[in-house]
Amino acid sequence: MGTSKEVLTIETPEYVGFQYVLAGLGSRATAFLLDTAIRLLFILVVFIVIILLSQWLPFLEPSGVLAGLSKNWIMAFGVIAYGFIDLGYFLFFEALWNGQTPGKRQQRLRVIRTDGAPIGWLGSAIRNILRAVDILGGVYPIGFVVMFMSHNSQRIGDYAAGTLVIVEKSGGVPKERTVPQDRQSEHREDIEANISTLSPKQYQVLRSFLQRREAMDQDHRQQLARLLAQRLLEIWEVSYKLDISYESFLEKVVESYEKIRRAL
Amino acid sequence: MAENRDDTAEQPYTIRLVGIREGASQEKLIAGLQRLFKRKSAEEIGLALSRIPLVLSRSARKDQGDKIKAFIESVGGVIELTETSPVHEQPEIERPEGVEQAQPTIEREEPPWKKIRPPLPGERRTKPRVHSGIQLQPMGIGELLDRSFRLIREYFWLFFIIILIPQGIYFLMAKGVQIFLGGMEGSEFNIAMGVGFGVSTFFALVVFIILQFWAQGALIHAVSETYLGHGTSVGRSYGAMRRLLGRLLGTLFLWGLGVILVPGLTGIFLAILIPLLSAIGVGNITIGVFVFFVIVFAVWAFFRLFLNWLLVDKIVVIERKGWVKALKRSTELMKGRTEPGFWKSNKMKAGLILLLGFLIAAAIQLIFQVPAMIFGIILKGNIVILTILEILNIVGNTLATAFTATAMILYYYDIRLRKEGFDLKMMAENL
Repeated sequence: MGTSKEVLTIETPEYVGFQYVLAGLGSRATAFLLDTAIRLLFILVVFIVIILLSQWLPFLEPSGVLAGLSKNWIMAFGVIAYGFIDLGYFLFFEALWNGQTPGKRQQRLRVIRTDGAPIGWLGSAIRNILRAVDILGGVYPIGFVVMFMSHNSQRIGDYAAGTLVIVEKSGGVPKERTVPQDRQSEHREDIEANISTLSPKQYQVLRSFLQRREAMDQDHRQQLARLLAQRLLEIWEVSYKLDISYESFLEKVVESYEKIRRAL
Repeated sequence: MAENRDDTAEQPYTIRLVGIREGASQEKLIAGLQRLFKRKSAEEIGLALSRIPLVLSRSARKDQGDKIKAFIESVGGVIELTETSPVHEQPEIERPEGVEQAQPTIEREEPPWKKIRPPLPGERRTKPRVHSGIQLQPMGIGELLDRSFRLIREYFWLFFIIILIPQGIYFLMAKGVQIFLGGMEGSEFNIAMGVGFGVSTFFALVVFIILQFWAQGALIHAVSETYLGHGTSVGRSYGAMRRLLGRLLGTLFLWGLGVILVPGLTGIFLAILIPLLSAIGVGNITIGVFVFFVIVFAVWAFFRLFLNWLLVDKIVVIERKGWVKALKRSTELMKGRTEPGFWKSNKMKAGLILLLGFLIAAAIQLIFQVPAMIFGIILKGNIVILTILEILNIVGNTLATAFTATAMILYYYDIRLRKEGFDLKMMAENL
């Protein structure tokens, strides 16, 4: 049965496997559209500067050397600047930002080499020069078809440069949960006595609930909290009514589990 | 190396479920048994439980038997583990205290669920059941589009054929009419022929619309089943929609009426009010400002309604709610936000997914349309080439529709995951 993500394992010569989640068409297209918006903004700024310069140059430079530049020259500078931004944007950002552009960073994507190493200047240059082939006609017709066929969602530029686009793991601290008020409860002893029987999988379910509960509808949230608490009490063979809310009980269970894990 | 094998490990063991512990939850036991018998539905196992004692296996190893015994007993069942004898002799079962009275034991040659009817397609979908191998989790916009892309790649032919069927029928009908009209060239055209042509075109259009909605429902069914880890086929997807077609058509008609009503009423309102305001001597600038604000309001109301009711078709197919109930349910799901941030409100996210989906779909369409256009210009009048190009156009449309529709179906599930935590509920039941 398929998993929800496409995972690629890269094995090092020391037989250590690193797993990467491959980025698909959706996140890559989103990142590209963000980058396009930023590039257009850059280009707009450059053109405004060029137009302003062409108007003000005679006043700014009284010696008259630059004033002699024709408007065609200024337009030529504009075209060069456009080309530089259009191609250079991806090339420089990917090489300097370790495989990321602002759009990719927002989408948590990164370009790496197929052996897992960071992309260098050469790799970045090859994949971005060949973007012209992938993007033919402005809508990535070839890129789409090749990515659709590719096992690792690579476009022609990726194949030529030996690169992949991966989704970065969220390395940050997990979302903060609401920390419970440390209220003394008679359940604390029961929780501490039974916490060692809590499996990592059960802990993950409780933790997911506590992390996601803020987004849930009130009814579903209460129903789920009750269900989880009752299941735990059943497993622990504890049969009395809780004197705290179900959510507080679950918070205490997770808190105790994490405390034990830290101690270990 | 010395062989250190336990002879008893080779002896087959019979695992029998002989009872249910007093006070144990039957649901939990069913969930536990489902982990052992992954192909059996909860309904099948539930029915089988009414006929305990049940033989779960006759050929388990001792260590396997012990593991299964420990597991089933942890979820409320009472297991008896005995050595399998060559002849099926029934040993005396000593029932532990607190175990429900079991029915007289009858050894069955085949498991009881083989005699039970399989669940109807609808029974499974009213409460989404996720295959045990599938892990669902809330997704960001990019992840959601990625998942849609992967799902289409994985089940390409299934989704493609589902959407292609109405498009193909429409194409064949259009070609048929074209050939028919081509054959009439030279013959005299009369009113009766015109009426006949008009009526048949009208009926063809009605048939096409019905087929189109049928395909829409079938696609929702197929995407939903595959996303949750179950298998389906083109026939099963269309078949699942047969009973729901009327409800889907009615609800979508209501949806269309509601959404179109806003610009329609605005137009009528302005058409009456502008001459009236002019007649009473209100200045043109004032009227212009007024019209501007009315149009802005109408556009806002249109988008609000459109986004509020965006999930109705999924609700009809997956939750089996129709008409006003489906509209209300969609509004309820689209309400509020499930993540902090202006761009993360449900409606805003849906708008962004639609926009991105539209752009990607447009790109997919262009892949097929641009060559079609170029060849059309070069090979003007070549009927075979033109027909091939029309087919390419249909293929482009089909793929684009599949992508956007899949993304929206996954978005429906994403909202339910976030707001209702249905994945957590299922995990909680199996805790």
